[in-house]
Amino acid sequence: MPRQLRSTDVVIVGMGAAGGVAVLPLAEAGLDVVGLEAGTWLDQRDFAPDEIRNNYRDWPMLVKKCENERPTSRATSATNANRVGGHPMMNAVGGTAVHYWAQSWRLNPWDFQVVSETARRYGRSRIPANSTVEDWPFGYDELEPYYDRVEREIGVSGQAGNVGGNLDLKGNRFEGPRKRPYPMPALRWTGFLETMADAAHSLGWHPFPGPAAINSERYDGRAGCAYHGFCSKGGCPVNAKNSPHLTTIPKALDTGNLRIVTQAHVTTLQMDGEGRVTGVNYVVGNEEYFQPAKVVLLACYTYENVRLLLLSRSSAYPDGLSNNHGQVGRHYFSHHQGAAVSALFPFDLKSWYGLPAQGVAIDDWADDNFDHVGHDFIGGGNLWVMSDRRPISAASMSTYGNGRNWGSGWKRFIRENADRSHSSYIQKTTLPYEDNYLDLDPTVTDELGLPVIRITAQFKQNERAIAEFTQNRMEEWYREAGAIEVVRGGLGNSMGISTHAYGGTRMGHDPGTNVVNPWSFSHEAPNLGILGASVMGTSGARNPTLTSQALAWRSAAHLVENWEDVSG
Amino acid sequence: MGHGMTKNPRKKSHPSDGSEQTASKITRRDLLKAAGAAGAAALIPTSLKGASSAASPILDGAMRGSAAMPPGAPLMNLTARETEILAAMVDRLIPSDELGIGALEADALGYIDRTLSELGPDSVESYRTGLAALDRYSEYTRGARFIELSERDQDSALIDVQTGGASGAGVGFVGSSGSFFNMVKSHTWQGTFGDPHYGGNREFAGWDLIDYPGVRMRVTEEDQEQLEAEELEPERRSAYELAMFRTGRPR
Amino acid sequence: MRARRPIYLCAALLAVGSVMELSAQTPSTFIVESPTMRTGEMMPRKYSPDGPNLSPPLTWRGLPAETRQIAVICQDHGAGNPPPWVHWIIYNIPGNAMGLPEGIPFESTDPMPREITGATHGNNGWGLSMYRGPAPPRNSVHHYHFAVFALNTELDLPPGLTRNELLEAIDGHIIGEGHMMPIYERQPADQDTIPNNSIHGSWND
Repeated sequence: MPRQLRSTDVVIVGMGAAGGVAVLPLAEAGLDVVGLEAGTWLDQRDFAPDEIRNNYRDWPMLVKKCENERPTSRATSATNANRVGGHPMMNAVGGTAVHYWAQSWRLNPWDFQVVSETARRYGRSRIPANSTVEDWPFGYDELEPYYDRVEREIGVSGQAGNVGGNLDLKGNRFEGPRKRPYPMPALRWTGFLETMADAAHSLGWHPFPGPAAINSERYDGRAGCAYHGFCSKGGCPVNAKNSPHLTTIPKALDTGNLRIVTQAHVTTLQMDGEGRVTGVNYVVGNEEYFQPAKVVLLACYTYENVRLLLLSRSSAYPDGLSNNHGQVGRHYFSHHQGAAVSALFPFDLKSWYGLPAQGVAIDDWADDNFDHVGHDFIGGGNLWVMSDRRPISAASMSTYGNGRNWGSGWKRFIRENADRSHSSYIQKTTLPYEDNYLDLDPTVTDELGLPVIRITAQFKQNERAIAEFTQNRMEEWYREAGAIEVVRGGLGNSMGISTHAYGGTRMGHDPGTNVVNPWSFSHEAPNLGILGASVMGTSGARNPTLTSQALAWRSAAHLVENWEDVSG
Repeated sequence: MGHGMTKNPRKKSHPSDGSEQTASKITRRDLLKAAGAAGAAALIPTSLKGASSAASPILDGAMRGSAAMPPGAPLMNLTARETEILAAMVDRLIPSDELGIGALEADALGYIDRTLSELGPDSVESYRTGLAALDRYSEYTRGARFIELSERDQDSALIDVQTGGASGAGVGFVGSSGSFFNMVKSHTWQGTFGDPHYGGNREFAGWDLIDYPGVRMRVTEEDQEQLEAEELEPERRSAYELAMFRTGRPR
Repeated sequence: MRARRPIYLCAALLAVGSVMELSAQTPSTFIVESPTMRTGEMMPRKYSPDGPNLSPPLTWRGLPAETRQIAVICQDHGAGNPPPWVHWIIYNIPGNAMGLPEGIPFESTDPMPREITGATHGNNGWGLSMYRGPAPPRNSVHHYHFAVFALNTELDLPPGLTRNELLEAIDGHIIGEGHMMPIYERQPADQDTIPNNSIHGSWND
């Protein structure tokens, strides 16, 4: 029998990017909050600039819960699912935000209204066949105050492009209107980034520095970015990367109303006969616990959110918690970040220092920022050029058709070219489809014997068409900047396991097609909230973290304002 | 431009004519070598094959590993016979030549051995099986053990292993021979270009080869400008020599 | 193994046909042979990764008198996505060359044999500028199409061209072509084929 703990107002499963932000408005409102986290606390001394440990050994000292639960994947239901590669996320207080790239974008207004805007401008027939995409239940304006709040609470640097409708051409002219500029100026650029920005200008495009949850200067008592080059999959040794474990979580702990249990491995949620959740079962070591709560917030990564719902069955929910409409796991998609384009330049880029979030963005070819009349797709991609290079990865670069990648000939090549290659990052509109989904794998389990998630998903014609279109734009940009060789990745097929996984517990008005309501609370279990990108129904062409954090803050604020209604 | 963006006056040092740039680059590197030899040797190790006595302080103690290890000396996880095959392979992957010492002299073998200790028996078995298959493949296709082949024949055999052609030859590669090749290559690169804390990259040979400017805790705007002006002195130290991380093994 | 019908011959000729359509003139046909290989017969093991993977020797005769340069492609029309899989591309071969010797150096830094001075390798399906021989899936026979093109001009083509880049570059200059198509099936080692000085016995020392 699990040990029964004292009841609490709110238990949050997962102290990552979303859950770690939601704790603050709850704790500040005086609610008793328990945060359950599978990982442990990490601090600056855990974050040595060490490429082997960060990028080749996947932080061997970490709690490996997510690794044990990593999903299987397949392109379609006609093929077998395999477990390929590791889990890209990590378990820790702060979650993957401890070592993420920290690009902190707001979605553009179009991303909230893909269906109605496409129908209005081009006709409803332009929505790709079999796509289950819906408009969000609200528009950009509804989320703006929460974007604004989170940008200030955690600290986001960037260059505003639209403050209250006034365009600033140094920023993104396509962004939705914001109440205020960013709380910090954008991260600085390097000479190569200036070169790329100049090339974009000469093509008639509109380059701007991207937003990042990274201090460009001293902020909230923490240092500015050190630009030391080990930011990709690296924690920050000067605490300039604004993970919740440095920002919202300490502030919530200061209220005295938050208690965090680390190394807590949540196995199921518990429900009563009326369909309300009553608490959470978890394991620490070999000890089992039951944490009763008036409200449960599920704030794991997309795969684990869906998995916990499907694993939690009762008489009220025979197919899994909040799944009586069969929507858990549906409308799944992961961002098309592949189809990369890389270029070789005839000069050193001096890219050894910097970080992935330091760069030049082009939004001219994203969303509906250009006329799609002559195209066979909707949406587009954000082009991103950054300064990021480390020695092992540099020495492992493509030889761009100049011979084999080892031996004396290679040594001559790498001596000349180690600092002359660049790989772009292109995030593309990705839609949900009828036959892309998550469910429980029929055979593969974690170390507790519980099934892992199975991903069945592939990019469709719309995503591949965007990939080809944006590859063309990217090559154009590189060539304009003087690239002498350009190589491209494939256009994409199987989605596989991703750091940008969306859907599975989609948010919307209609319980027939959505798991959670417009406040991210379950349509079926009223005291269950779900946080994270699993509630998002569209991807936009930019990183999801800030949006999931703004949504988490909004859900927490809703819970505070409607405590009696929701907690029952 | 807006705040936070520096317009770097030196970026015009990137001429649009690539051939001119290439020529001036080689000259710069020649000068760098000459400067290193003339007195900046402590900052810019230029040692070539055989000059192992010029070890930097970091190579003392635990870092030293198998400092004087000749190819063929046994490792903890492999037999002498396996080690000599691996040594010959690693020596062809990144040979010692006029551009500097190779993976063997950088002690990629020592790195691989420590890595195998951390990764465990499955990885050791992958190495043993693959090395045995490489030797059999050399005998079957080229009539001699791998270490006895000429450098050209070793390279030709390794190309067949890399491209997967050796996997159909019935000599014992598990799955594609390319998987074995890629595993060894990846570890060799880590052991040549990775942080010397792990025992490889001796004398920072890997970082010198690619002109990596080194591990720093903070890169200021001025540092970046100096880097772009080719005036930044390279740092040559392990991350674990930084005060904050001096506690020893990575946590 | 005895000869099997070269079932991919039609596909091969179709592929060549598309080149001919692009050309201004109809190329003549000449004879391509080898001292060690024949169309429809097994290639010797030494030209594959079951042996030292030497490039095979070729000879040709009856080229048009105006031939100034020669290019060679070896491809497998039954492999690759999309087909063909390219095993070998060599061009900038002098127009007076009578063929290619066996075992052309695979390192670009090694000089070409005197009789084909100036010849250059293009990039094969592995992205390597060299010959790499047949390695079809076990228990299947594939056909290896050696296509030789006679060109009416001296092109100074850069190294590392892909098949499509080469075909584009020589389009309009092809005045003659010749073909041969041997076959290959993997010949994996067994206990008998590994020499007696094998390390088997002492492996676990």
